Amino acid sequence: MSDRKVEQNATLLALTSSALLLPGYQHAAADAPPDYTELGIRYSQYEEDDTKSSKTFGGASERYEIGIAQFHLLAPVSDDWSLALDVQYEDMSGASPWFVGESLGGDPKVIMSGASIEDSRTDVSVTTRYYYDRGNAGFNYTRSEENDYESDAIGLDASFNDSDGLTTYSAAISLSKDDIEPTQGSIQPTNTLKDEKDIRSGWIGVTRIVSKRAILRFGLGYTYREGFLTDPYKLNDRRPDERSEWAISTGYRHFFVESNAAIHVDYRYFDDDWGVSSHTVDLAWHQNIGQSSQLVPFLRYYTQDNADFFANLEDIEARYYADDYRLSAYGAFSAGLRFNYSFGDWRVNLTGERYRTSSDWGVFGGEESPALVDFWRYGIGLDYAFK
Amino acid sequence: MTRTEHQFVAMGGPCRLRLDHADDGTVQQAIVAAEAEVSRLEQKYSRYLPDSLTSQINHRAGTGEAIAIDPETAGLLKYADTLWRESGEMFDLTAGILRRAWDFKSGAVPDQCELDKLLPLIGWSMVAWDQQTVRLQLNGMELDFGGCVKEYACDSVAGILKQQGIHHALVDLAGDMVATGPQYDGKPWPIGIRHPDRKTQAVAEIALADGGLASSGNYERCLQIGDKRYGHILNPKTGWPTTGPVAVTVLADQCLVAGSAATVAMLKPLPEALAWLEQLGLPWLAIDAQLQCHGRITER
Repeated sequence: MSDRKVEQNATLLALTSSALLLPGYQHAAADAPPDYTELGIRYSQYEEDDTKSSKTFGGASERYEIGIAQFHLLAPVSDDWSLALDVQYEDMSGASPWFVGESLGGDPKVIMSGASIEDSRTDVSVTTRYYYDRGNAGFNYTRSEENDYESDAIGLDASFNDSDGLTTYSAAISLSKDDIEPTQGSIQPTNTLKDEKDIRSGWIGVTRIVSKRAILRFGLGYTYREGFLTDPYKLNDRRPDERSEWAISTGYRHFFVESNAAIHVDYRYFDDDWGVSSHTVDLAWHQNIGQSSQLVPFLRYYTQDNADFFANLEDIEARYYADDYRLSAYGAFSAGLRFNYSFGDWRVNLTGERYRTSSDWGVFGGEESPALVDFWRYGIGLDYAFK
Repeated sequence: MTRTEHQFVAMGGPCRLRLDHADDGTVQQAIVAAEAEVSRLEQKYSRYLPDSLTSQINHRAGTGEAIAIDPETAGLLKYADTLWRESGEMFDLTAGILRRAWDFKSGAVPDQCELDKLLPLIGWSMVAWDQQTVRLQLNGMELDFGGCVKEYACDSVAGILKQQGIHHALVDLAGDMVATGPQYDGKPWPIGIRHPDRKTQAVAEIALADGGLASSGNYERCLQIGDKRYGHILNPKTGWPTTGPVAVTVLADQCLVAGSAATVAMLKPLPEALAWLEQLGLPWLAIDAQLQCHGRITER
């Protein structure tokens, strides 16, 4: 049954497509703002494991801890418009890798910044969305501030449902302008006093209902970054001032009636002109339990190649250089569990996730960074919807 | 989570809505909207109501006067046109006129000459229609949307329920059904297909989790003369009752499509009917005159 759409014959196709033009089938297709107001709060805690003493100079070092508080409001403002407000506050503390040096034994080891970083970040995002018969379009403005960083971004997106009721086309563009002014703390000197960067990105996608219970999607995205792309706090960090990134992604969702559950499989390929390419595979099983609960175990595999100018130990001759583990070759697994529970107009969700990384798990060869990070993430959220 | 059952009479039969939903206010609102939609379509398309659009079209048959129609009616005519072509010209909205000759309560078979008078008035190609107007070319012709409006109403009501956020409901309009989703516990709705002769016995049980189910049968209204049984489904080309299956049930995403598939199967001789159902690729069940079951209906 599930693949019936694919194998249906010409007569059935003629009848179905002619039937779907009737107004009685337009209920589901017409886009409309939600007819309720939704309020949500969420708190998550991100805790990096200590860097192992064998990988650092000066013994085990505590790394980042981030607490993230989020507020979400979505409300209809008329029959055709909705307004959303999202506020996020992050509180960061801990140490991050400063640079990689060579030990007496010849191994690369990390020199940490010391427990010197204390920062907070506030993002405020406003989205208005207009709903038309065959889709919707949104305009978004986001302002982000940290002690040493300010960013303004605007985005436009639109979707269009095909008359067959099975296909949705989407597109989005966004522009952001970021100002960087590193705080002059205990780590001296920073790589710049004041600088800026611009990010422009575009995305197109198509989602298709391939059978009564299955959805397939494809997306293609391009991002262009220009300006000061070097990490201001890392010693010896010299990166190009342009970066072009491409990403293709695909996803499949299938609902199984007998199990009352759905499988989500997603894949993403990323490639840029710094030499970084990556594969991401996501698997999630959305298991409904009775009417009000849902349990979602999920697993992600990520692997990337290193940037052309990545090396653990600095080559002072090289024009570009970075020892940032985020530009090294590695592989990572993360596994987690999410639980959703609804009661009346309320919905609560709990998430726990473990992320581990190793250069051995990558499919690309390359030098292992001693600064690779493992972390735990926990989250709790509460949503309330009312008319 | 509560189960609400609501029964009413419309479209010539008993109708029933079964809704599993937590909020009673939403359920009551949905029931009112659902009944209003059924009533709207009945008022608009019933051939029995003198003010209906169907009656207006039929009253002007042969006068040369075209009736203005809305996009919904144009959509139904377009659908009927597609079905007429796809069914080998067997499904015909103008064939309802044969009722004038066949009175299934009288116990008498009509004379061939009576049928011969009506047959020239049947023919979809004599319906002149476009997106804005429709006109029946011959005096005495009739349009009858009965062959598709009940199924269409079922789909439309299901659409309204979904729009209200009711995703665990079964709409049953006199035997044509749509599930907006399974029961609240995730189990599909069990639906019994009645045995043609033994009214209380089911020949098959179908599990309907979502989508439409429609049945067409000859056993509800028929004439029994001696050994011969004359069903109420009439061949638009001969004017005589069809000789194919006595009952057909089909499942499809839309109840309208399921109903059309079942009705066309009833109009065809048995081997052709089975071939038609098989090639559509939809789950189906057919019962022949010897009460043998054909086809396979799996869960959906």
